[in-house]
Amino acid sequence: MNCRQARPMFGAYWDDEITQAEREALDAHLSSCRACRERYDALARTLELVSGLPRVEASPDLAERVLARARRAERAPDRLPTPSVRWVPLAAAAALLLVSGVVAVRWNRTHPGSAGDGPVAVQLAPSPVATSAAGNEATPVTPANGDAQIEEAQLVAGAVPDSLFDHSEDVEFILDPVTVRRGRAHPATRLAPPITRGEQATITF
Amino acid sequence: MPLERDPSGLSIVPVSDEDLMARVAEEDERAFTELVRRYQARVTNLISRVLNDRISSDDLAQEVFVRVFVHRRNYRRGSKFSTWLFTIAANLAKNEIRRRVRRRNWFSLDALQEVLSDSTMQLADPAEGQDVALQRGQLQESVGRAIATVPEKYRIALVLRDIEGLAYEEIAEVLGIPGGTVRSRINRARGMLKRKLQPLLRREGMP
Repeated sequence: MNCRQARPMFGAYWDDEITQAEREALDAHLSSCRACRERYDALARTLELVSGLPRVEASPDLAERVLARARRAERAPDRLPTPSVRWVPLAAAAALLLVSGVVAVRWNRTHPGSAGDGPVAVQLAPSPVATSAAGNEATPVTPANGDAQIEEAQLVAGAVPDSLFDHSEDVEFILDPVTVRRGRAHPATRLAPPITRGEQATITF
Repeated sequence: MPLERDPSGLSIVPVSDEDLMARVAEEDERAFTELVRRYQARVTNLISRVLNDRISSDDLAQEVFVRVFVHRRNYRRGSKFSTWLFTIAANLAKNEIRRRVRRRNWFSLDALQEVLSDSTMQLADPAEGQDVALQRGQLQESVGRAIATVPEKYRIALVLRDIEGLAYEEIAEVLGIPGGTVRSRINRARGMLKRKLQPLLRREGMP
């Protein structure tokens, strides 16, 4: 074995990853070649220094801290943006609108005479989401005052047969049950509360 | 170490890391604590030697185990737990080195030069005299600093091999590189380190 063959084997020699035959050949070369022996000794001393470094101890409370942090990390929401997340508020709003509409329609169907019991204020307030869909269907209620207001209130209160006041169209609008109840609380006056238009609906359950 | 009676009931055998990890995946926190206890010293030491930073190593070791817990269901049963763990630790250490390089705090080129020259100066300080032995602490500090100046990809392989004692095959798995590449990186790292420590070795009477 010559120096060119011996030197690349120093690492494997240190790691004891060479065959017995290779070891014997390298041992023989190192005993006869001073330059290679010095090189190998320098490498061996370097690696002794590295492996002899003191072990860095972990903090005694590491396990507890890890567990506490791991539990917190578990509860933390995933920070990766997912497309569905952005649609959640919109979908929720749409679902709410749909449910409100269905409830309103069913309520009107199960209480067919309710329109005649008292003034029922239907607050027309297309939400930002429903506006475009409802835009074509919604006939704007003109703010009324004086006689026109009374006339409109009577109209809403049942002066007109129910068949002409088809509540099924109202599915496109938000019905405010609170306002509805309030409207029904004024049978004596038979006046509807002022109708406002174009404002954000207040949905209270 | 948790012990379990083997199925024959004749002897008590320690629970393997892999079995503990399987329990962790089933929300067993005691199994997790046991795994942390088994490996906390090795993980802390690995990170500390790669970064040459004792203080940060504690926080990063914590982060390693937090990731083990958070990703416990991603652990493939049948693979060696320690390999998976060291992969997480090596990746975090690598990220930390790169973050520091980006921030140019510790390892900017200037800082590197500074560390390097400082280390070399310390090692070759003639004021201390040939016959004055370096204090053990100084010696270890110099070696630690010299390791920290080895380029990252060689350094991690070196620490895994020569400090943590991992087999070449395991290092190849941890780093996701072929075994031959691991060997060549470790050989190069050792050569670099030997050159950096040359002044120190000369003091010890080595050529």
